[in-house]
Amino acid sequence: MNNIHARSLKAALLILPAFLLSFLLANPASAQYEEGKALFTGNCASCHKPDKKVVGPALMGSREKWEKRVGKEALYSWVKNSQGYIEETGDPYAVALLAEYNGSVMSANAISNEEIDLIFAYIDNYTPPPPPPGKDEVSTNAGNDGPDNTWLWLILIFVVLFIIGNVLLGVRKALNRINREKEGKEPLPESSVIESILEYLSANKRITALLVILVLGWGASVGWDALLGVGVYEGYAPEQPIKFSHKIHAGQNGINCVYCHHSAEKGKHSGIPSVNVCMNCHTGIQEGAQYGKTEIAKIHDAAGYDAEAGKYRLDEDGNRIQKPIEWVRIHNLPDFAYFNHSQHVIVGKQECQTCHGEVEEYDYPMKQHAPLTMGWCINCHRETNIDMTNGYYQDMKPDFLEKYSDMEDESFKVEHIGGLECAKCHY
Amino acid sequence: MSTTKKYWRSLEHLNEEPEFMAKAHNEFTEHVPVDEFLDKTSLDDTATSRRDFLKFLGFTTAAAALASCETPVMRSIPYVNKPEEITPGVANYYASTFADGNDYAAILVKAREGRPIMIEGNKNSGVTMGGVNARVNSSVLSLYDSKRIQKPMKGGAASTWTEVDAEIMQKLDQLASSGGQVRLLSNSILSPSTNELIREFGAKFGGAPAAAEGEDAAAPTGDSNFKHVTYDAISNAGIINANEADFGKAVIPSYAFDKAKVIVSLGADFLGTWLSDIEYSVQYAKNRKPDGPWMSKHYQFESTMSLAGSNADVRGVVKPSEQGIVAAMLYNAVASKTGNPTVQTGSIGNDDNNLKEKISKAAEGLLANKGQSLVVAGSNDTHVQTLVNAINNALGNIGTTVDLDTPLYLKRSNDNAVAELLEEMKSGQVDAVMIYGGDPAYSMPKDWNFAGAMAKVKTKISFATKLDDTAKACDYVCPDSHFLESWNDANPKAGAYSTAQPVISNLYDTRQAQESMLKWMGKMPDFHKYMQQTWEQYGYQMVKEQVPTFTEYWNGAIHDGVSQIPVSTKGEYAFNGDVNRAAKAVNAIKGGEWELELYVKTSMGDGSQASNPWLQELPDPVSKVVWDNYITMNPKDMEGTYETRTAQETPADMATVTVGEDSVTLPVVAIPGQKRGTIGIALGYGKATVDEKVVGANVFPMVAYNGVSKTLQYARYNVSVAAAGQKYPIASTQTHHTMMGRKIVNETNLETFKSVDAKDPKIGWNQDIRIKDSYHQERSTQELNLWDDFGIEKGHRWGMSIDLNTCTGCSACVTACHSENNVPVVGKDEVRRTRTMSWLRIDRYFSSDADITGPRHGHGASGRDYEKMEDPSEYPDVAFQPVMCQHCNHAPCETVCPVAATTHSEEGMNQMAYNRCVGTRYCANNCPFKVRRFNWFNYSGYHKFKGFNPAQDELGRMVLNPDVTVRSRGVMEKCSLCVQRIQAGKLEAKKQGTPVKDGSIQTACSSACPTNAISFGDLNDKDSMARSRAKSDRSYALLEEIGVQPNIYYMTKVRNRTIAEDAQPVHHGHGHEEETESENA
Repeated sequence: MNNIHARSLKAALLILPAFLLSFLLANPASAQYEEGKALFTGNCASCHKPDKKVVGPALMGSREKWEKRVGKEALYSWVKNSQGYIEETGDPYAVALLAEYNGSVMSANAISNEEIDLIFAYIDNYTPPPPPPGKDEVSTNAGNDGPDNTWLWLILIFVVLFIIGNVLLGVRKALNRINREKEGKEPLPESSVIESILEYLSANKRITALLVILVLGWGASVGWDALLGVGVYEGYAPEQPIKFSHKIHAGQNGINCVYCHHSAEKGKHSGIPSVNVCMNCHTGIQEGAQYGKTEIAKIHDAAGYDAEAGKYRLDEDGNRIQKPIEWVRIHNLPDFAYFNHSQHVIVGKQECQTCHGEVEEYDYPMKQHAPLTMGWCINCHRETNIDMTNGYYQDMKPDFLEKYSDMEDESFKVEHIGGLECAKCHY
Repeated sequence: MSTTKKYWRSLEHLNEEPEFMAKAHNEFTEHVPVDEFLDKTSLDDTATSRRDFLKFLGFTTAAAALASCETPVMRSIPYVNKPEEITPGVANYYASTFADGNDYAAILVKAREGRPIMIEGNKNSGVTMGGVNARVNSSVLSLYDSKRIQKPMKGGAASTWTEVDAEIMQKLDQLASSGGQVRLLSNSILSPSTNELIREFGAKFGGAPAAAEGEDAAAPTGDSNFKHVTYDAISNAGIINANEADFGKAVIPSYAFDKAKVIVSLGADFLGTWLSDIEYSVQYAKNRKPDGPWMSKHYQFESTMSLAGSNADVRGVVKPSEQGIVAAMLYNAVASKTGNPTVQTGSIGNDDNNLKEKISKAAEGLLANKGQSLVVAGSNDTHVQTLVNAINNALGNIGTTVDLDTPLYLKRSNDNAVAELLEEMKSGQVDAVMIYGGDPAYSMPKDWNFAGAMAKVKTKISFATKLDDTAKACDYVCPDSHFLESWNDANPKAGAYSTAQPVISNLYDTRQAQESMLKWMGKMPDFHKYMQQTWEQYGYQMVKEQVPTFTEYWNGAIHDGVSQIPVSTKGEYAFNGDVNRAAKAVNAIKGGEWELELYVKTSMGDGSQASNPWLQELPDPVSKVVWDNYITMNPKDMEGTYETRTAQETPADMATVTVGEDSVTLPVVAIPGQKRGTIGIALGYGKATVDEKVVGANVFPMVAYNGVSKTLQYARYNVSVAAAGQKYPIASTQTHHTMMGRKIVNETNLETFKSVDAKDPKIGWNQDIRIKDSYHQERSTQELNLWDDFGIEKGHRWGMSIDLNTCTGCSACVTACHSENNVPVVGKDEVRRTRTMSWLRIDRYFSSDADITGPRHGHGASGRDYEKMEDPSEYPDVAFQPVMCQHCNHAPCETVCPVAATTHSEEGMNQMAYNRCVGTRYCANNCPFKVRRFNWFNYSGYHKFKGFNPAQDELGRMVLNPDVTVRSRGVMEKCSLCVQRIQAGKLEAKKQGTPVKDGSIQTACSSACPTNAISFGDLNDKDSMARSRAKSDRSYALLEEIGVQPNIYYMTKVRNRTIAEDAQPVHHGHGHEEETESENA
């Protein structure tokens, strides 16, 4: 009964957004709505929400307010460069607004008036997404998404089979004995299971040999795999001090990877974001969908932020009382291997997902997707084309063509520029 | 034609002693005790039985297997608040200034994640022009010295700033109110802000305002109760005093070595340690290229072989006592032709080096280049400097190559004022003394009795960074911060300013001296602010029109690190010196049988960085000895009394040198080129301890105060030298490799260079080496290939061209390489076992024109006849040659590696994969250049290297370059051509989407080289400097005849001599044709 009820609720929940979506699609403005949404997510969403105060104010209705108050042009200049606007006009409302939000200045935006219109069109027509699934739902889903129970079942089956087998053997023995008793023969000497197996094996030498070979072969194969796996931590997913979910941040909220891992485009490390990057959003967002306040409170604790008072805690000297977060490192490339993120992200134009998997789908804890072995690196270097449109390679193209004149097409791989050489990564 | 010089690397080599020659063919000159280790008795003696061994084996295997099962948990800790300018993994560069009173350089500090790891030159500097020396770029390691004083101290015990400050302030205030005498004894302070601060300090605590300004800041000031006295361990007061007397300006002038067509140096090691040596090296190298419009001619007259002396075109040797006479003779030769009065000259006692002729040649050269020549003297004797001034004046060099309008503010020590201060202290008139910079208790002459003077002073405050002798004698030690932790500015010469900024927070509880003074003055202890105020008050006022705000001006100044203000004063300087008096004074100097020169070593300087292991292990350019100072003596003088060291295992003989009551016992090292009857001992030793043992001996106490000249005198004219009968193990780096009788340093003279075709098959001075192939056809080695060619003309081909003409041997590249590539410091004992780890070494060769083993071909005159005329091994020419991995296109090391750990790259480099190496050392055996280094130990872990290998020290480890692997035991390593820099440079180009621009990638050595002797680049890039140099006539490859086709090229050394000059000492003026014949023999 309960089950049926839950299922129908789920169906309803699935259908509802579909309805809404079809309604929106039917609406001639919906294309604009989508465009505005994209612009909003790209430029504003890290600090604003249409219907909620976050780092900055809720934006719903603000266009109307501004247009009424000071006019459309003022709004444009305010959005494009709020500091400049204040300096230019000294608008008391804007100054008050800045003060209300603890002086967190909105960075200047390089967007056009049309784009601003699109954003506000989205904001004003904003419909909140369906609420997250309730507690009911979670409990019903537990069966599907819970831990894998296959092994438990297998063991259970094995135990049951073992008992049945033993019982049947006992029955067979008893019947045999009764039979012999009936025929007036002497009862067979009692022999244990092991003794009988050994007896069987010694009687059937070929099967024994085959079994031994099979067991040895299996052992060697397992041993070999185990040795290959020494130091390979594919799938490594340690517990972290904060239950951070990439799914929520990169997946649901669509935050760009390099917003947090910004040095991936600049240097060798992708960089674990410093706490102040977290605080860009989490000054405002103090409650999460999954763990409520507990996990976000850990960020505040590290940053020395008093969420209640909306202020940073300071010591006697006026420094923030803060401490670093000790994340557990997941991707451990050995020290003797040099790897540079920017080389792969900027020059090689690789997606983060190529090596890290569908991170936007990973909930807590984050895991290592690739084996990070040298073979894995080399393989990619053999298969990946270099971007010949890059000015650096353009300049070298004549040399390449001459050097690899036997190649049928011009698809030069990383290996052709020495990507398999030792000293490209080991120095 | 190239000369017939035969280069040899030690005297045993020259004499071809059978013992040496037998060993020279071995890879390891010492015996490797394999038999001892593996023989039966030693195995029987061991406590470990076979069963035990198997047990251990089993246990370790099991333990290893268990250990590998668990994932090691590593933490990744990001910043809480990431500083905006720091991106993890990306280096930041900060412009700063090195100024320790002895050296000055405008530098760039490379910092990774907030840790300074490397010092390079600031190319925008008008003074050092991007150059550094070994002492400057090694100073980054001194930052992480765990022997620095970590806390303020009171009465020899650790204290707190609050306590120390309170007591000092109370005492100073009391002295100020009671009119007590306060003195500040510092080394030369280049910082205008600090000088300003000291003036204010003096005004507050001395009563009357001290009104000294500019260059006079060093002089004691006014009638105030506060006096600031400048004292440098290496004094140049003689120049200042002479200029004051002769030209009325008490300054050290700026010298322009780049404008001088003839340079005569009387014992001034201007390429190594004298005054602003980096600046002079840069200037000097500009016109030392034979392919340029003109090449300067350099005469050097000295007693101990210095760096400048070894680079000279003509070197004459003279006893220290006769240096003044040489100056007088040179003066007379010039004066007689310029209408100036001549003076009386003494006579040269034992002219065994054609000195008189060389002086007259030098004078001829000077007279032919009036206004375009330069004479300098290293002597601290005012009278010698007066004679030099007179020569420069007679030649019209004042205002052209000697610039009195732009004085140098380095080394402004005032010896007379120091002597007076000490008298004052001894008489008990001084109530408080503050000592800032330097270690006078260590470096002052014994006669001055500094300890006695200190005992009479009630309050003694030191700003020392190390607990040196002076700090130990002080009541309060207020440790100064390292220059990389401090704000500062510098004014090395008139018009040139540079700034220093902290690159790291204070590592210890130290406070920069200026802030301590501010605190005691009752001001905010913030020197950053103070410096801004002075810059706003002075510097900003000059550019107010162009720069709208001070912040902008300040940020620009800090960012660039250097700024230049035009010097407008143009003084008229008439020579008023009394040459006769000066001549009389120098003639009166009596020499002795043995004379001692206390010289400054390129690696050690004044000894302030003696505890820096990079510098201790940096071989002296001439002797190649590390970790010691020693007595330098001419091998001829050693004959019969002292053994010349034959090899590493032979300890050197020791001798006792006695001057008056002082004596010191040190090992004797043979240095050809040392004036006979003289010895030299390097200053700066006997200070640092390694493993509780003091390195070398301190000879500063032997420095004399010359009451006539009122200067410190670094030579003693009558000493006794006696064999001590002891032996001492000494470590030198140059006996590992033999490169015999081949074209290693190719050399010719300027006249030949100009008149003869380089490749002329008969008399060319840079002939291709041709050998016979198997068909008895003579072919060039380029054509004879055992292997297929790599496609070296496609894509990049990294390589270098090293100009042996401009390489002065200064060794800045060696320390730069250590710093960049995490090269371990191995210590004296390992160096003695020929296990030095330097990737880049500088080979030094002495030349000898004579073939002393037998008669020459086709001539009546035998080598022995020539020997009678002038013994070449006494005073040879010197050549330096930096040698690193030659990155052969046909590398012999690659073919013998059984595991392919060393391979060739598409870009022409020979690469080394440490993790693949199993340590067979076949590659090292097969390397013709002997540049491969084997890690015999885990230098970063093994206890033997604790105490001096930086990687063993918690703090020292911070200096390691995170982009370069720290190698472990059992692997081979060698120069990688700074592959990490090449990769980074290429990546930058790819990110920009442009080809790699020539010059954008520099190796550590090429960037450190002040003279651009090392030029790195893409040999396939048509526009690259390295390529154009590698294609020039002068270019050749090392050991061309073995056909390994290196990517490193050398450029023939051309000395500025005529054929006659070059040949004269050899053949009594015979022509050069004969020489060519003997060359081919």
